[in-house]
Amino acid sequence: MTRKHSQEPSEDAALLEIHGVSKAFGEQAVLDDVSIQLQRGDIALLVGANGSGKSTLLRCVAGLTAFEGTVRVLGEDPRSAAGRGLIGYLPQLVALPDSVTVSEVITFFARLRGVSLRRPAEFAAAVPLPDGFLPALERPIGALSGGMRRRVALAVALLGSPPLVLLDEPAASLDEEHSASLWETLQALRAAGGTALIAMPLLVTSLLRHDLASVADRAVLLDQGRVVHDGPVESLRPSPTMGTHGSMSGSSQ
Amino acid sequence: MNLAAVFAVAGWELRLAVRGRLVMGTAITFTVVCVLATLLGLRTLSDLGLAGIGPGTGALINLAILFPPLMGIMLGANSLSSARERSLLPLMLVQPLSRLDHVCGVVLGLVGAVWLTIGFGFGASALLLASVAGTADIAGLLAIVGSALGVGVVSVTIGVAISALAGSRLQALGLSMGLWFLFAFAIDLVLAGVAAAVHLGPFGLFIGVLLNPLEAGRILMVLASGADALTLGPFGAYLNNTVGTTAATLAVWASLATWTALSLLVAWMGITRREP
Repeated sequence: MTRKHSQEPSEDAALLEIHGVSKAFGEQAVLDDVSIQLQRGDIALLVGANGSGKSTLLRCVAGLTAFEGTVRVLGEDPRSAAGRGLIGYLPQLVALPDSVTVSEVITFFARLRGVSLRRPAEFAAAVPLPDGFLPALERPIGALSGGMRRRVALAVALLGSPPLVLLDEPAASLDEEHSASLWETLQALRAAGGTALIAMPLLVTSLLRHDLASVADRAVLLDQGRVVHDGPVESLRPSPTMGTHGSMSGSSQ
Repeated sequence: MNLAAVFAVAGWELRLAVRGRLVMGTAITFTVVCVLATLLGLRTLSDLGLAGIGPGTGALINLAILFPPLMGIMLGANSLSSARERSLLPLMLVQPLSRLDHVCGVVLGLVGAVWLTIGFGFGASALLLASVAGTADIAGLLAIVGSALGVGVVSVTIGVAISALAGSRLQALGLSMGLWFLFAFAIDLVLAGVAAAVHLGPFGLFIGVLLNPLEAGRILMVLASGADALTLGPFGAYLNNTVGTTAATLAVWASLATWTALSLLVAWMGITRREP
């Protein structure tokens, strides 16, 4: 049985509130007064060029880095243990230890999240991914390809179906088949009332626009740390020089 | 404190450690060297007993002071720094446990690995000693093992503190090996060189011992073996006449406890203030 999250949002309460978040590394501003709200069931893409602040914003929401402004998940500060219990997070890069098996990784993070995996039915409920998405459970991480390792890390982020999932370039290293499985999983997550904020680079966004449009409700475009567009995915218009810094335009809501 | 999370992290760290080459290599080497030292010293151990501080006892004490602490401080130094470099630390710290829980879990798991190594080495020695040892020797050996376990805890926590502060894994490992060398050899050499010149005196030497966890461990093991404090020479005579063996033992344990607490504090502050 998976852990129940005690704080369910009311119908109109924002599940994620990001208000006036700014962050600088030394003199270099990375995020500048970013404000975003996500309701329960929202799947939002956070798109932008390299260095636009997508990963930093996800780290702020995950409570991993200091910032100015306010972030609340179901009213909780994500820097508190209670707040972190509401978030599943997939970093952009993560190297799981080679000497442990897939099963040991999943079991360990499940224990940290208070999710029981003792019976196969509990495992299926706790790891909401299609059959075949995860590599064989007894395989050591060291024997897996980059894409397979990414799928294990993704399973960790989705463990116990947390109310908010933060995914930093989740499709990186995934082949077409498993990317499709990922989008299916995100659709199922949305159908179950889950909320996700997904960072994607501009190029991938353009390539996968059709898939993403069917999964995501919104696209938030970051340029030099500022929100320059927040609207439906379809409203993003690639410019002729797409892929360069700040080259994608969008019509703000 | 979330004890379930602490034990989960401890189990994870222990599993990673015992599957690593450092623990495996150190455990095998330590056990082999302990067996050799016991075999070579068996005659004197038989004649003098453990408390006689012959070559056998001396070798076992020095092994316990050198091997497990080196392993412990390196394991500790590798822990957070390696997790940070592999981007595993953010994945751990985004879970619903506090950073203190995480540090305590890491320390607990790595202490388990060091204790296993000590258990293998001294376990093998104990089996060999059983044929010639008296009851007092077994008690003495257990006391030495207990002291070694204590020094193991200190070395791991110092390593984890270094790991929390260091800029990279390589830097953490370099610092930890340097610090181990300082504690194991350099401070002794410096104290021996300058003690007379600066009129350090026995009290100054005792303070010097308390400030060096490995030397404190060595004194603790000598006292724990059942040996008379006079075995330590003029310094032992000073301890005997001024503070007494029991008080000296308590002071050394207090020193080890303080090292552990301060290192945990530094590790916790490091992991709290630094971005993972």
